[in-house]
Amino acid sequence: MAATILKQGKVLIASIQAALSDRELIELRDAFADRVGRFRSHGVIVDVTALDVLDSFATRTLRDIAYTAKLRGATAVVVGIQPEVAFAMVQLGLSLDGIATALDLEEGMALLAGIEEDDPRAR
Amino acid sequence: MSDEQQQNAAIALAREMGLSDAAIERRQKIVGLEAADLARIAAIRDIVLPRTEPYADVFFAHLAALEEARPLLTNSSLLNKARKLKAEHLAALVSGQYGTPYVLQRIQLGLLYAKARLDTRIFLGAFHHLLHDIGADIMKYSTGDASERFEQFMSLKKVAFFDIGIIVDVLVFERERVIRQQQEAIRELSTPVLQIRDRLLLLPIIGVIDTHRARLITESLLVAIRDNRAKAVVMDVTGVAAIDSKVANHLMQTVSAARLMGATVIVTGISSAVAQSLVALGIEMTTMRTVGDLQGGLEEAEQMLGLRVVADKSALRYEAP
Repeated sequence: MAATILKQGKVLIASIQAALSDRELIELRDAFADRVGRFRSHGVIVDVTALDVLDSFATRTLRDIAYTAKLRGATAVVVGIQPEVAFAMVQLGLSLDGIATALDLEEGMALLAGIEEDDPRAR
Repeated sequence: MSDEQQQNAAIALAREMGLSDAAIERRQKIVGLEAADLARIAAIRDIVLPRTEPYADVFFAHLAALEEARPLLTNSSLLNKARKLKAEHLAALVSGQYGTPYVLQRIQLGLLYAKARLDTRIFLGAFHHLLHDIGADIMKYSTGDASERFEQFMSLKKVAFFDIGIIVDVLVFERERVIRQQQEAIRELSTPVLQIRDRLLLLPIIGVIDTHRARLITESLLVAIRDNRAKAVVMDVTGVAAIDSKVANHLMQTVSAARLMGATVIVTGISSAVAQSLVALGIEMTTMRTVGDLQGGLEEAEQMLGLRVVADKSALRYEAP
């Protein structure tokens, strides 16, 4: 698989390094769904910095990952969408409504840390 | 300008105007230039060729009588060039070859007129005068009966109208060049993205937003978000006089694109007139965060970033007059 899932405390991080095929995307989605429960993660970050295109299927899979994570009690953040990709997505009418986004991995971690502070489970 | 420079300018302009070989052929078809016309023109070649100088004189004599043509008539170097090109034009008019070289010659002449600010109507008047004289000579000297002579003249007129089409297009194209340049300048100047706090950008939008400009605005904003690591953007539309469904759509696209990059956009400065027209048009901007004025937008953005502006009297300085 072109994307490996790393565990960092309560957060799972997947950095996508190359354009993934539809099959690999589904594998990633399933792997996330499995591990969120296994590691009792509170946050999920998908880093797409290296991607120069996000098509409709990829967008849908990202949305699926986010909703699945939410159902299993974790917040998903998509980070690193490049200006050109963002512009193309908007032109194509693709959106990530209801999913947190952040500029890069650092921002995404900060965002999750902020949510964690408000989370009663962490106290 | 040397002859070679003029030639190059004409070639460049032909390319800009999209005058390819195919387009030239199309233009010939539009005026209805056919093989029969070429044969008729060949028959009158010997009448026109020796008289190109007098015809050119008629053209310029007509211009000389017109106040509007003064800029051309008083500029002797331009006038000499125009005279020379005009005589060449008349010789080419009966040459039977109306391809790219012929068109380039016409463009050169058109550029010269444009430089002398010769108006279309002035050019048309003088050109008609010239055609009248050529017609009169054809009727006088050509062989064949009256209707044949008339046909000969009409064939020549097709080429003349082909010429007029090119010259008028050059004149209009040159006049519109100024407009195009100004539009380009306005577009380049009008999309600043300013950082006013750490991680807070201000995007003031002034004037008319069309698809092209909306694209420029969005692109420059997205790049600025990445470069400044912005988390919040205040988009001020006080300077946008009217927002219709198309413009609203553009603005919403900009907001969504910024959100994809993790930045929140706050829209400010929607005037009461604009707000009412948006409601009347049934455009819902529910996905946007809107605040009444720029100050309110900045305050909300600062709050979002965890910043607080506090008045500090002890830091107050009075500037000596």
